[in-house]
Amino acid sequence: MNWVTAVPLQAYLTLSAALFAIGLLGVLVRRNAIAVLLGVELMLNAANINFVAFWRYGSSANMEGQVFAVIVMTLAAAEAAIALAIILNVYRRFKTVNVDQINLMKG
Amino acid sequence: MIAALWKEFLAGTFWQPLSFVLLALGVLLPALAVVFSRNIVHAALWLLPCLVSVAGLFVLLGAEALAGIQILIYCGGIVVLILFAVMLTYGVGDPDIRAFNRQLWWGLLGAAAFAVVAGFALTAQLWPGPPGPVPPDVTGRLADALLKQYVLAFEVSSVILLVAMVGALVVARAEPKE
Amino acid sequence: MPAGSEYLLIPGLPLLAFLLVAAFGLRPQDERAAPVPIIAALCGSLYLSLRALAHVAAAGPQEFSFPWLYVGTVQLDIGVLVDNLSALMMAVVSLVSLLVQIYSIGYMKGEIGYGRYFAYMSLFSGSMLALVISDNIVQTYIFWELVGICSYLLIGFWYRRPSAAAAAKKAFVVTRFGDLGFLTAVLLLSSFGLGIFGFTDLAHAAEQGALSKGLITAVCLLLFCGAMGKSAQFPLHIWLPDAMEGPTPVSALIHAATMVAAGVYLVARTYFLFALAPAALLVVAIIGCLTLFLAATMAVAENDIKRVMAYSTISQLGYMMMALGVGGYTAGVFHLTTHAFFKALLFLTAGSVIHALHTNDMWRMGGLGKRMPITSITCLVGALALAGLPPLAGFWSKDEILSAAWYSQLPGHWVFFALALATVFLTAFYMFRLWFLTFTGGERSEEARHAHESPWVMAAPLVILAALAAVAGGMKVSVPGSGEGFGELIRFGDEHEAVSRLAMALSIGAALAGIALAWAAYRANLVSPAAFNARLPRLYRLLKNAWYLNRAWELFAIRVVIAGSVLFAWFDRHVVDGMVNGVAWLCGAGSQQLRRLQTGQVQLYALVIALGIIAALIAVLGGAAHGLTFIGGGR
Repeated sequence: MNWVTAVPLQAYLTLSAALFAIGLLGVLVRRNAIAVLLGVELMLNAANINFVAFWRYGSSANMEGQVFAVIVMTLAAAEAAIALAIILNVYRRFKTVNVDQINLMKG
Repeated sequence: MIAALWKEFLAGTFWQPLSFVLLALGVLLPALAVVFSRNIVHAALWLLPCLVSVAGLFVLLGAEALAGIQILIYCGGIVVLILFAVMLTYGVGDPDIRAFNRQLWWGLLGAAAFAVVAGFALTAQLWPGPPGPVPPDVTGRLADALLKQYVLAFEVSSVILLVAMVGALVVARAEPKE
Repeated sequence: MPAGSEYLLIPGLPLLAFLLVAAFGLRPQDERAAPVPIIAALCGSLYLSLRALAHVAAAGPQEFSFPWLYVGTVQLDIGVLVDNLSALMMAVVSLVSLLVQIYSIGYMKGEIGYGRYFAYMSLFSGSMLALVISDNIVQTYIFWELVGICSYLLIGFWYRRPSAAAAAKKAFVVTRFGDLGFLTAVLLLSSFGLGIFGFTDLAHAAEQGALSKGLITAVCLLLFCGAMGKSAQFPLHIWLPDAMEGPTPVSALIHAATMVAAGVYLVARTYFLFALAPAALLVVAIIGCLTLFLAATMAVAENDIKRVMAYSTISQLGYMMMALGVGGYTAGVFHLTTHAFFKALLFLTAGSVIHALHTNDMWRMGGLGKRMPITSITCLVGALALAGLPPLAGFWSKDEILSAAWYSQLPGHWVFFALALATVFLTAFYMFRLWFLTFTGGERSEEARHAHESPWVMAAPLVILAALAAVAGGMKVSVPGSGEGFGELIRFGDEHEAVSRLAMALSIGAALAGIALAWAAYRANLVSPAAFNARLPRLYRLLKNAWYLNRAWELFAIRVVIAGSVLFAWFDRHVVDGMVNGVAWLCGAGSQQLRRLQTGQVQLYALVIALGIIAALIAVLGGAAHGLTFIGGGR
């Protein structure tokens, strides 16, 4: 039996695509606003996996991949904070965090 | 056959694919649980193993520092933050307990379509072959890059963090009592 | 100033008079002065026209134009064409207008709207002269319409009278039918005729064969439609008898001498086109012939003095048209000229009688010969001229027409000749019936007994016109102002038909026969009209009702036109409006559906974005034909 010792790049890419799709699903179908945020976090992580995989399988001497991943994480944190602050505010106003009930439109 | 597998195991040639498969499962299955859990607390909690597995993948790819940062920030910071928010907005007596909105099927279709298309796009290329060896002192090189070549991005992201902090405070503060 | 531009004054002076009278002459206190501008203007126009005749005879046609409008690729000019035909026509129009205006001073005295009358008359004279002097067909059309409006205004001068208002409307609407043809001809020329409108340019183009035969024939037929309306040819003649509602000088000037001649003038002006379309000429001849005969039959049964003359005018216009149709260009124009003189004269004498008796009904007249001698004698002169007895003017012109019919190349030309000859008999008959009933015999009413002659201001033009009617035949030999004979002055091509002695003799004989019959029936009481009518009641009724043509038109208007308009109205409401409404409905329905995308739900928007991105990805990747390599390599 001949095992391939290295995992091919496509595996990581497929994984990240799948994770992204799952995150996208969460964003599109969940009613709870916080669940939507969870989906967003999954998508960001999928992107990070992509970056690091490309760093490793490309020229790993350049650190761009990892730098980008670090910045992404920073921004994810900032964004999560703001999003949750907004959700808190919305909860106070509408008494609910269900996205489809946060609607001032008539008709 | 078992003998051949044991031999391979001792030779250490398939620990890498095995770890990858395990970690991949560790990423995808909790992710599915995050999306499909009806209870929001469970959903938030399922995020944890997912993120830890991602950190594991980073280790497998040779970016240990990044894995550390991932654990610290994501698992330690963001998940906790989310749990706080969940607790503050938990609607116990909510009569309408549907977890999914009206576009569930359309969403499934869209996500599946995306997965297929993106998967096709990403894998239809001829990517480079097996990776070279990990360069020495990855962490040092990462620090170097962050503080020398990409110091602007580094500083700007710290400003963003400051702004986000102030903004979150302002947005979330309670109404001033008369 | 380009050569010939002083001839702009010929229509310009009367139009200036119109402006003066319209601005200053309408109040009752200004009325004494109202006729002055137009009389002065017409004197000037007459003088200039005669000078033009002389000038053109010496120096050839004068023409100038300058560009006026550019509409897309079409260029319209304003221009003046002074040649033999237009100079002669202008002289005739100015002269007759002048005499009629002098007459009007007396006739319209004391009428309300005296100033308005002269204003309209000035506008008419100016428009008519401008029509004649135009050098291109579009300008002619413009003044053609203007002349039509003046006719409308003047027929309905006494607008408080319902019959007058109705007559004015009828005149306008019926001539409009014809004008539609005229306009279509202009449009055809604009689209297919290389956009040439000037008469001389058109003549060149036609000569060189630049215009197709079909186009020329169509244009000619359509132009003739216009001429049919204005010149009251069958079947568009119905407006002219009713137009007698207007004041008699109006009838004399507009509906006898000048405006109705505009149709004949138009055909003469565009004769170079007609000459290339024999089919059109045949149509002209046939219509002209029908008109001259039918109108004469209708005149025979009329009792209103002016209506007899109206039918007579229609008949004589038919003569002119037939003449042009059979190839007698010179004959037609000559008759136009002489007819202007003696028909205006006849109308003015009728006006004289009406002015004295206040009635139009011939059966209430009688014996006026002794009380109104000038009127009576001048009317006799006019009647003899109309009947066509030598040496009066009418004889020469009518004779030329008969000769033209006799020698014509058209198929069946002898039919034209026969009918024209028969109508000579009828013409003499009805004219002298009129004269005998009006001026001889016993007075048949109180007013007749108390009649007196008209004032000199009315009588003088009568005498002048009578003199003209008598001697105008001399124009055959020499036209005043130019020195040439009429035949040399006004001709088309080089043909010069011989005059048929036989035709001459026959026409004199027919005229004398007609006079004799009229004398026998209405003076000497040898033949009884009443008995005749009793014996042929249907014929009498037919003629009395003008061949029921008015009724026929009425039925056409009601049945056909209104039925058609109902159809069009339905189409307009449901299809045309329906299309517009349909577009609006479509927009509304469409936006209703699009509205469903605007739910305010963020996740819907996110879904749409996601689907859009997927579609874009597919579009971009679609070109790439790669096999799917999912996880390259095995495990």
